[in-house]
Amino acid sequence: MIGYLTQIIRAVAFVFIALLLCGVIFEFAGFSAPLMFQSIADGAFLSMRAWENSLRWGLPLFLTALGVVISFRCGFFNIGAQGQFYMGAIAATFVADGLNGQSAVLVVPLTFAAGILGGALWALWPGLLRVKSGTDEVITTLMGNFIAGLALIYVTSGPLKDPSGTGQAASSRPIGEAYRISEGNSLSPTIIVICVLVGVGMWVLVNRTAFGVLSSLAGRNPIMVVWQGARLSRLGLAGFVIGGALAGLAGTIEVLGPIGRLSSGMLPTHGFTAILIALVANLSVLATAVVAIFFGGLAAAGLYLPVLAGLPAAAIDIINAAIALFITARAWPKRLTGLLRRDAT
Amino acid sequence: MTNGNATALACRDISVNYGVVAALADVSVDFAEGMIHAVVGQNGAGKTTFARVAAGIVHPDKGTVEIGGKPVPVGNVGRARSAGIEIVHQSFALPPSFTVAEAMEFGAEGRGALYSRRDLERRWTRHLDALGVRVKPRERIRDLPVETQQAVEIARALVTDAKVLILDEPTAVLSPSGIDNLFERLKVMQANGVTIILILHKIREVLSIADTVTVLRGGKLVEGPTLTTEIDAPRLAASIIGTTADGLSDTDRDALVGAAEEDDDGTETAAASVAAGPAILDMRGISTRPDPEGPALVDVALRVGRGEIVGIAGVEGNGQRTLVRALSHLADITAGTVELSGIEVTHQPLSDRRANGLRVIPFERNSEGLSLSSTLWENWAARSLLRDGVLRLISPAKIRKACSAALKVWDVRFSTPNQPAGSLSGGNAQKLILAREVDEDATLIIAAQPTRGLDVGATAFVWRSLREARARGCGILLISSDLDELFDISDRVVVMLGGRVNGEFSRPYHLGEVGAAMTGADR
Repeated sequence: MIGYLTQIIRAVAFVFIALLLCGVIFEFAGFSAPLMFQSIADGAFLSMRAWENSLRWGLPLFLTALGVVISFRCGFFNIGAQGQFYMGAIAATFVADGLNGQSAVLVVPLTFAAGILGGALWALWPGLLRVKSGTDEVITTLMGNFIAGLALIYVTSGPLKDPSGTGQAASSRPIGEAYRISEGNSLSPTIIVICVLVGVGMWVLVNRTAFGVLSSLAGRNPIMVVWQGARLSRLGLAGFVIGGALAGLAGTIEVLGPIGRLSSGMLPTHGFTAILIALVANLSVLATAVVAIFFGGLAAAGLYLPVLAGLPAAAIDIINAAIALFITARAWPKRLTGLLRRDAT
Repeated sequence: MTNGNATALACRDISVNYGVVAALADVSVDFAEGMIHAVVGQNGAGKTTFARVAAGIVHPDKGTVEIGGKPVPVGNVGRARSAGIEIVHQSFALPPSFTVAEAMEFGAEGRGALYSRRDLERRWTRHLDALGVRVKPRERIRDLPVETQQAVEIARALVTDAKVLILDEPTAVLSPSGIDNLFERLKVMQANGVTIILILHKIREVLSIADTVTVLRGGKLVEGPTLTTEIDAPRLAASIIGTTADGLSDTDRDALVGAAEEDDDGTETAAASVAAGPAILDMRGISTRPDPEGPALVDVALRVGRGEIVGIAGVEGNGQRTLVRALSHLADITAGTVELSGIEVTHQPLSDRRANGLRVIPFERNSEGLSLSSTLWENWAARSLLRDGVLRLISPAKIRKACSAALKVWDVRFSTPNQPAGSLSGGNAQKLILAREVDEDATLIIAAQPTRGLDVGATAFVWRSLREARARGCGILLISSDLDELFDISDRVVVMLGGRVNGEFSRPYHLGEVGAAMTGADR
């Protein structure tokens, strides 16, 4: 119990120090730090409306971050959540757009399946390269992000282009109203239900199945589980694929839900924030839920900052980056030990 | 100059604490000049720490060191070396990719920044010749046999006119004849006026080489320096072991401290039914691909019967690791067959072999055997979780409870099953592995160096567990570099050399014969 408590205190302290540091920097840059924190609190948590917004941004992040948690626990540094998120969104849009006019009972499930599959496949190939030939997954998944980003530009200005688009960022035709899972660009009960179900499922997978224990052992010492007779490649691939599937699911939800279409360059930091969330949460499923909503709140507040504190919305990116610095400074040694698993057969 | 009574190295009130553990407590010893001194004790008695304090590597919490009558600042390797003290470590410190000449130059007093290979080779050939080390200066360290590597390491330590040479467990990696060669070399150095301090493990070796003996137990000085002419093996054994391991049989006690006579008559009776039993393991003509971790196996045949302990002897690095990897389906087998209890498993993955009763206690306790940052219960449950299917629902609370119960049976000292495995001592960590690997369904247990680094009590515990498993009908393959251990508990001993089986012995064992097989010398 003491162990959990210190972990929580430590994570909170890291976030707190990062915020403080940002406050000092902004103060030096001529902005008002107290006003900034006040507007973050207002925009994120101090009203019903703010909470709704925080959940709207936080829940998709939660799903993607859960995927990151699963693959990190297996010992694989899959940083391709962003690309997997995009590929899920692209696959979902293709299906929803292609089947436009069919019954929603048919189209919506197929869209979800396509989105999940798209994300999973985009994680499968780096996973295969990793377990079959030892290719460093950091490089491949990072490259995968760029490819997926370019693919998004291509499909939104090519096959899925909205002909009525008005010159700004290219985007797809809007998803048919019948297929949307939320009204307008806000949260909906459907999204909450999906996230709760997936969250519970992943909690069970991590905490109540042999897979959870074995993947955690493999993540900490792959050599040991090899000597126990585990097939590391299968555990690892499962980690990659589940991670990709969850990112793909998040992409599908954004397309069918709040955003309602695919647009070029959408949510460009989604996958990276998810990694940050997973690390702050110390790879615990429960903590991921809490931390995801906190970061969702930051994202929501980011929209208010220009209005209230006169800060650019990018201030939130700076805060995220500061938190990332502190958290990864702690997470790094784990990554290094991960590099030592040479005979991952 | 040499005066028999002058003190070469004097340590006063040395105390070293690692956290709450006192590695050394108020140890004061004087080592006389021009003699060979032995420092002995169990694992964890503080021998290595003592050697490192003397050599300036470890900074003691308290105490002083004098060399040749002059105080030397503690915890400063450079000052200790310039005062004339050198240490040869247990695990060799020479860079494996260097040539002999480069390795000799490395760490020697600085000369110019430029040198030619020929200069180097000429200089060091002379030095090595003078010490009787026969080796080509152009050979790479990694290509040398262990014994020669050690000789080069000792020669390197003597580059700077050392007055005191400390060797930390130099015999642990050597064959019996290698030990004889080492001792002869040490006597030559002694004759040249070097004071030698040997950290040793075995009474037999102490009595054959040392002039004095000093015994450490639990970080305290309990004996010495006493002239070896004034002490005998039983008293020395009692002094090393103390009263910590009562109930040991005499043969076990002798094996623990290496006090057995050269030719053990091995009157153990438990192994009568051995040869009759059906084979638990039958390896025929196994060859493997070369492997970075050791030489390939060449045409290895090995049979372990029901209720039989087969010992694998050999100088380290002669294919023992490859053998364990081949049996665990972690090395590429190119020829031959492996049968477990009559079922061919040559191409079965380890999970299937484990389902057939194979259990492995791997060489590296802390990397292959355990995940140190994971909890005790996760480590303990790994085998059964894998066996029963990865997607099965589990109750961690139940597993933790079962784990606590099992660890208590195995006498593991722990406070909660949630503590990380890395918080256990070596002996308790090994017991955790035993608790996982030695179960009712086990038919063949591979135990690779299961007692390395363990103290007397834990070693005796491991032996007892292996014997109990044998009594239940398990076959056991025990790989060890400690011949005393092998002779004490094995029903047969198979010697490996260069990836081949080079001889098989049964009781009574003769140290000389087994030793000859280990080095390939003619018997």
